[in-house]
Amino acid sequence: MHFAYPPRKGSNPPPFQPRSSKVPILRPSRLRTILLLVLTVIGCFWFLSGPKKETPYKEHAPSGNPPVVILTVVDPTKYSESYLKSITDNREEYAAKHGYETMTVKLFDYKTNGAPQSWARIIAVRHALSLYPDAKYIWLLDQNAYIMEYSLSLEEQLLDPTKLEGLMIKDQSIVPPDSIIKTFALLKGKNTAFILSQDETGLVTNSFFIKNGDWAKFFIETWLDPLYQSYNFQKAERHALEHIVQWHPTILSKLALVPQRTIASYARNKEDNSYRDGDFVALLVDCTPTGPDSCERQSEHYLQQLRYKSSAANRKS
Amino acid sequence: MTLSRSPSPVPGGGWSSPGLNSGRNSPSNMSGGPVTWESAKMRHHNPNTYPSFSTQNKGFFTRHMRRISSSLPRFNGAYVEKEKLKRQQPWFRRVPLAGRMRSIYGRMGRKLKLTLLLLLFLLLGTIIFYNTPLVYHWRRASFGGGGNKFVIILAANVGGGVMEWKGAREWAIERDSVRNKRKYVARWGYDLEVVDMGTKKKYAHEWRESWEKVDFIRATLRKYPQAEWIWWLDLNTFIMEPSFSLQDHIFNGLESHMYRDINEYNPHNFSHPFTEHYLDAEALSPVGDGKTNSVNMLLSQDCGGFNLGSFFVRRSPWIEQLLDVWWDPVTYEQRHMAWGHKEQDALEQLYSTQPWVRQHIGFLPQRMINSFPPGACNENADSNGNYPPDDTVHYNGNEHDFLVNMAGCEWGRDCWGEMYYYREFSYWLNRNPFELFKEEFLAVIWFKLTGQKVKL
Repeated sequence: MHFAYPPRKGSNPPPFQPRSSKVPILRPSRLRTILLLVLTVIGCFWFLSGPKKETPYKEHAPSGNPPVVILTVVDPTKYSESYLKSITDNREEYAAKHGYETMTVKLFDYKTNGAPQSWARIIAVRHALSLYPDAKYIWLLDQNAYIMEYSLSLEEQLLDPTKLEGLMIKDQSIVPPDSIIKTFALLKGKNTAFILSQDETGLVTNSFFIKNGDWAKFFIETWLDPLYQSYNFQKAERHALEHIVQWHPTILSKLALVPQRTIASYARNKEDNSYRDGDFVALLVDCTPTGPDSCERQSEHYLQQLRYKSSAANRKS
Repeated sequence: MTLSRSPSPVPGGGWSSPGLNSGRNSPSNMSGGPVTWESAKMRHHNPNTYPSFSTQNKGFFTRHMRRISSSLPRFNGAYVEKEKLKRQQPWFRRVPLAGRMRSIYGRMGRKLKLTLLLLLFLLLGTIIFYNTPLVYHWRRASFGGGGNKFVIILAANVGGGVMEWKGAREWAIERDSVRNKRKYVARWGYDLEVVDMGTKKKYAHEWRESWEKVDFIRATLRKYPQAEWIWWLDLNTFIMEPSFSLQDHIFNGLESHMYRDINEYNPHNFSHPFTEHYLDAEALSPVGDGKTNSVNMLLSQDCGGFNLGSFFVRRSPWIEQLLDVWWDPVTYEQRHMAWGHKEQDALEQLYSTQPWVRQHIGFLPQRMINSFPPGACNENADSNGNYPPDDTVHYNGNEHDFLVNMAGCEWGRDCWGEMYYYREFSYWLNRNPFELFKEEFLAVIWFKLTGQKVKL
């Protein structure tokens, strides 16, 4: 229907409605849009943010305080106090000179539950790993051994990765002369965690280094497996070590063989691996607690040399 | 026939030896008798036409076709009537498509626009969720659901029919089990590795039977470099709730699901934690370092101790070490008579003596990943021959347990019967809305009305 004129308007126009809100952006007509936008943004965030990701596991990294712990397991039941004192003094003097620490424990502090007591030395290594979580390396040095060169630090002659890589004997049978399991040829110095040497019959467990960390605990605890301890290996922990190294590549792949005279020269005067002047360590491997070949008697020679060296050093300085 | 010269590339061209014009179906001009070089040359009057001697001057039409046809009138309707047609077309034909759309859109009401938008979204959503592999890839991607971090190993072909005959039932069990996992994996974007647990000489020779697990886990870690968790499943298992993802079911809330202090449920009475004075605080603590990220193996315990029918391992240096020392000839030599469950007992041995193993193992409640049917872990049947279910061990459909492991069904129970029962039960539990409507509504009404049970 059409009218000729539009409907008449009132003469008084309605007054302007006051604004419902002071802020122009928050007008009720816009409020809904804003609300929708906010919801969308929140929804997007919720959609894109998955469940909280867990941080990957990181093992405790040793800070290097002390850099090395020299561990000695002594047997006061068989050896005289003065002899053992000469041993501990030797370690302490060397450690003080280079900022290392010594840890001396007694053999019978650890129970081996019927297995040969020599296993206690390995338990002591586990103990050292617990006591010094920030030590970079644990050095187990046999009781019957002397550090002969105080001036050489362990880092510069062995533990520095590039130095170590130069020393490592690669592709070498673990048990000489002809075991088919050989050390890895492509192993890098920085990837090793277990440094030891080898004599003509097998691995030398009288002097070895372990890099602190999860791997070290795995390795030592595996070595200490009660079923190995009860197995009657002929040479107890030494043969157990040769067994696990040859059967378990996760252990072999961290193992560095170094020439024996770097860390474990034998104190005899027969073979290639015997101690010569200037070697770092003299291991009295053939000595007995008592008798004509007693360790105390054999040690005199080396103690004398040490005294001579220290007086020479004092004279120089 | 030997060719002393390569034939011409032109079909039918070149030399006239019948065998040489291979481009044609039938050698032409065979009636012309032996064609010599001289005669062939003579026939090439016109070098601009086909160099063939066969298709020229064959008749009137062949010669004059083009001239005749080009002089005929042409009837191109479209061309002639173009103007007229344009006037008759409706308006929407005359406007180009984009313009048409614009004008329709412009005349639409706002409400209609919104409705259409909503419908479009619904349609798109339906297509994306049901018809494209987009969801699969999203669930699989590391930026999405992260499904590519999970690999399921299914131990199939147990024994391989070497020691026992593998009959129809065994094949059926295998088929159902594999299909169940395959569907699950396809749904959540995981990977499935079906491994062959057939009895092999190489393991028998090394007394390593049932330590094959170790080799398969290692191989799987190598094969799927992006995988973080590997889930080992025995053949006689069935995922009852395929709608549960591993992330939601276990890993997002690992902290609350898992227990590390074995004293919580300790059927083997391991003395826990260690008390040796030479160990560190973490090794002495009952919960290791207490963080979930240090757990590298998740398993469940049944009434008899560890159960390796369904367990998880995480890629880590730790698992490599464990897989490496799990089998050792010296320990095996001493214990092989005592270890009836072989690798399971060996793991328990490692757990009981070695802190480094214990620190990284977590336990899940058994019914979370490894529910047993009432026949397993149940020595005594009651007077009716039923086995009273144990709440920590046995499957409970009302609580939607995730997985059933028919452990030990090969020792005197009916593996196929159980597998079939749980398969059907899982289908029943996870009916789709239409099936629910039919069976829980229509069939019930029908039953009320007529007293007859119907299957729809």
